[in-house]
Amino acid sequence: MSTATTKSVRPDAPRVSMSITRLAWINVSKDLRLEWRSRDVFNSMMFFALVVVVVFSFAFEREASRPVMGGLIWVAFLFSTTMALNQSWSRELRNGVLDAYRVSPSPAEALFLGKCLGNFILIMLLECLMAPLFVVFYNLSSIGPLWQLALIAVLGTWALVVNGTFFAAMSIRTRNRELMLPLLLLPISVPAVISMVTATAEVLAGEGSPGVQLKFLAGFCVIFTTACFLLFETVLNAE
Amino acid sequence: MKPKLFFAFAAFCCLFLAFGTYQGLVIAPTEETMGNVQRIFYVHVPAATVAFTLFFVNFVASIFYLWKRSPKADALAATAAEVGVVFSTVVLITGPIWARYAWGTWWSTWDMRLNTMLMLWLLYVSYLILRRSSTTGSTSVLASSLAIFAFLDVPIVYMANRWFRTHHPAPMIGTSNLDHRMQNILFINMLAFLCFGALIAWFRYEMERTSQKINAAHVQRAAGGAGAMLAVPAMWLATGHTNPAAYLWGGYLAAWGIYVSYLLFLMAKLGRLRKEAAELNAGS
Repeated sequence: MSTATTKSVRPDAPRVSMSITRLAWINVSKDLRLEWRSRDVFNSMMFFALVVVVVFSFAFEREASRPVMGGLIWVAFLFSTTMALNQSWSRELRNGVLDAYRVSPSPAEALFLGKCLGNFILIMLLECLMAPLFVVFYNLSSIGPLWQLALIAVLGTWALVVNGTFFAAMSIRTRNRELMLPLLLLPISVPAVISMVTATAEVLAGEGSPGVQLKFLAGFCVIFTTACFLLFETVLNAE
Repeated sequence: MKPKLFFAFAAFCCLFLAFGTYQGLVIAPTEETMGNVQRIFYVHVPAATVAFTLFFVNFVASIFYLWKRSPKADALAATAAEVGVVFSTVVLITGPIWARYAWGTWWSTWDMRLNTMLMLWLLYVSYLILRRSSTTGSTSVLASSLAIFAFLDVPIVYMANRWFRTHHPAPMIGTSNLDHRMQNILFINMLAFLCFGALIAWFRYEMERTSQKINAAHVQRAAGGAGAMLAVPAMWLATGHTNPAAYLWGGYLAAWGIYVSYLLFLMAKLGRLRKEAAELNAGS
């Protein structure tokens, strides 16, 4: 990043103007490439989620856990998401990368969008790998249509990731970094979690339609995505 | 702070609160089905009104801080959040005491009305924790951003309230279901508690300003209610579950326990701040 900054300041260099989507894409590909080479976040997140599923399967009887299945799935994802998000910004603290972002001319929104998309891809991948585990351990089958579950997963994950990325950026500025994220993220996400869990339970049981919950979730995503984008630069530059 | 004006306002609040409480406990007609327990209503609803008002003040002050970066707005936001947490603690404790008698259960998990209040409480406690644990320079900006997020959740959950069924009595002000004498007494109590809230907030605001001035931003959690929370389990042990008066006194005791312990907490804090200021003055 620092070379990019000096380049645009030097008068003889060609002036490079990049769109937000292009900058965001550079961030996403950088994050995914780093993750692909090290796999430190993904491996620990995957293992953590696996442990949660196994522990839950011991803690709750298989048949008794059917009605609370929606809750179990989302609690497992919520915990693994929190873990992954904590890692995503702490990587930027090493070697002062975050400070380099702050002085670089690229808009903060591009950085935020890139981080969100990177985390979103990672967590969607995790969910796709975890779904078979739930089927195996809980003998899970859906009575309602599967595309509705997929839609809930996409909206729910985005709701968690967009708020989570924002609050992770906030919590790395505090003294007790890793502890702060769940304290901030969980209360804010309560409405989204309620509708995700209710909608998932409805689809799994094949009772009622999750239309209202999906609308609610979509509204939540729109409102909080907007708020995150408006306030991210303020939080990034808070001193 | 203008001490004369402050003390005059404090005296006025005491009289007004005493008048309101007398009206609520003695003058107000007894409710048909719930009996005397219903009188908790006169501390529960006003506390909720004050809490919502203060959270709104916190939201507006936070936006103003982000816009103008005025330390006064930041002090007001911190004050409003902390005092708001105290009042919503009162709501969350008097509510279950009433519900144990009226519904037969302390808490109803899937009731959105109850969840809204609990969530607000959690959000603003996390706000106070953030204020405490962020590094000194960035506290105000981070806290203001969180305050905006916290307030965004309020209308969302409020709307969710209409889509899910709820046990909580629907708002009755202005409807024929509420006896007009009860309504007037409720309004008196609302006004009295709003004055009381303003008084505590004023006091706390001056303290926050002092604390800003001596560059020691000890933002404390509103832990004032911890002692009063004992009222609920104590009642569980001490009384049979059918005596409405026990619940009524339990509710009033818990509410005033919280207010008084918060005031004592503020006094202790003020003493500490004064000592610190004196030490700083002696050193310079």
